[in-house]
Amino acid sequence: MADPPDHIVEGDLQDQKITGYQSPLGVTPVHKVTLRGVQTQSGFVFDQIEVTFQTLGTLSPGRDNAILVCHALSGTAHMAGLHPDTGRPGWWDFHVGPGKAIDTDKFFVICSNVLGGCDGTTGPLFIRPETGKPYGMDFPPVTITDMVAVQAKLIEHLGISRLFAVVGGSMGGMQALAWAVHFPERVRLCIPIATCISHSAMQIAFNEIGRRAITTDPNWNGGNYTLDCRPNHGLAVARMVGHVTYLSEHAMTRKFGRTLQPSADPDDQSSLFSVESYLHHQGESFVSRFDPNSYLYLTRALDQFDLFDGRPPEEVLPRLKARFLVISFASDWLYPPAQSRELVRWLKRFRVAATYINLETLYGHDSFLIENPQFSQVVRHYLDHELRKPDMKETAVAI
Amino acid sequence: MHPGIYKTVLDWIPEGARVLDLGTGDGAFLERLVQTRHVMAEGVEKKPELAACCIQRGLVVHQSNIVEGLDQYGDQSFDYVLLLGTFQELISPAEIVREAFRVGRRVIIAYSNFASYKVRLQILFRGRTPVTQSLPQPWYRTSNLHFLSILDFREFGRHLGVRPVRDAFFNSYGRVVFFPNLFAEEVVTLLEK
Repeated sequence: MADPPDHIVEGDLQDQKITGYQSPLGVTPVHKVTLRGVQTQSGFVFDQIEVTFQTLGTLSPGRDNAILVCHALSGTAHMAGLHPDTGRPGWWDFHVGPGKAIDTDKFFVICSNVLGGCDGTTGPLFIRPETGKPYGMDFPPVTITDMVAVQAKLIEHLGISRLFAVVGGSMGGMQALAWAVHFPERVRLCIPIATCISHSAMQIAFNEIGRRAITTDPNWNGGNYTLDCRPNHGLAVARMVGHVTYLSEHAMTRKFGRTLQPSADPDDQSSLFSVESYLHHQGESFVSRFDPNSYLYLTRALDQFDLFDGRPPEEVLPRLKARFLVISFASDWLYPPAQSRELVRWLKRFRVAATYINLETLYGHDSFLIENPQFSQVVRHYLDHELRKPDMKETAVAI
Repeated sequence: MHPGIYKTVLDWIPEGARVLDLGTGDGAFLERLVQTRHVMAEGVEKKPELAACCIQRGLVVHQSNIVEGLDQYGDQSFDYVLLLGTFQELISPAEIVREAFRVGRRVIIAYSNFASYKVRLQILFRGRTPVTQSLPQPWYRTSNLHFLSILDFREFGRHLGVRPVRDAFFNSYGRVVFFPNLFAEEVVTLLEK
């Protein structure tokens, strides 16, 4: 692996201060819609659900060029362009835009905040109609399948019966997989990135450290906290642990090594290792934009995810209709390539057309969030080629 | 590789067959096969940049080495499994041919003949490890791990319980008909169980 260019920005774009960052999309708005009720897998009924979403590009007259982008744990509906309030770039601005991997000149691209999230879609922060107080921990358990069910309502609301593609990394990849399983007629292409068919003990373990940090913060108070007294400390620690698992040893050595960062306080003579101050910054930045209870719900959804939902694979997989492009990253030790290969193996055993590529990036799990020409090229070429082909399933579609 | 080998493989594979191409490279041949024979094809390619080329051509490709790639597929998923141009480089050819017959009904293998007269003459008169058109690299740079002749390959087939159904032999002058073990430099063979 060759050393990458120095200008590569690592990590989540939303937690970066990038001076002079330009998005070809300029400022992009997010929208809100109230959708009719949804029943969760656990049996809880929401009479209505609010969904925050973003759309970019133009829907074709045939309504056949829509791509749903699913965000990961810390993502938001604002995938690309600059946020109207914060001015920060969307979390996937590197890969969504004119001429980019997901080309907004060709596709109508949709991204919505997940159920249980904290970026404007119904979640633990929302007021419960019966009590007039936030749901907090009374919010029902959320699964990846529930997230996808809400997205399906949104897609219907937008007048789209069949998606050209569903794309997502990490938790977004699980959603893409759930789409292919639960709505086989409505997905033409499925692009799961750096994801798995179910979490390993190690993945659950890291999430549990994060959850434990939150729930043992005295301010958590069983999930009943106020906005000015939140378990910020616990959430920051959760993010710090999470962030380490998203990087790679190589990336950290290269970026921080053992260099020291002088304290910001001029009276303080002590200094921190750069990696410490970086993690502190990541934790603090995350606290300002994320809800601790949401973090508990979404990590639980990740841990509970099972592509087969306890059913035998031979019941689930023959029903799939989508074609797959599965991408993993050689340096990703949180969602190691072997997990993607396991997915591909299942797909191939049931003769689902699945292309697989393991990219030699250096940045660990975060590789899908950063600038990466090879990744862009693979996704763009795959979509381009499919765009030129006739849609074989088009005639068989009904809402 | 001799262009005649590709042409021969195109002739051997019937319309609409299911084909797995191991070591598919940039996918140029597989694309040709799909376009001319309308086969349902997939490739396995180790290098990400070459697998990316296959994606650009719209091919289904699995990026992996051959052993791990074969392991992804179920029993008898293909009519033909192709091993063109990498055979001498495989660490364990017997294991791979067995696996190829697990996932496919027929296997087509191309290899270089190490007993062609040019090779024999170089060893006999120059006393040096031969460098020829089909073995173009010196010993210290070659990726070939195994040096085999046509007779060796046939014995290998008997050992594995597979038999050649069709063969085609080539050297720099074109197709070879007589005494292939002496005159052919490259070989393509269709094996059945």
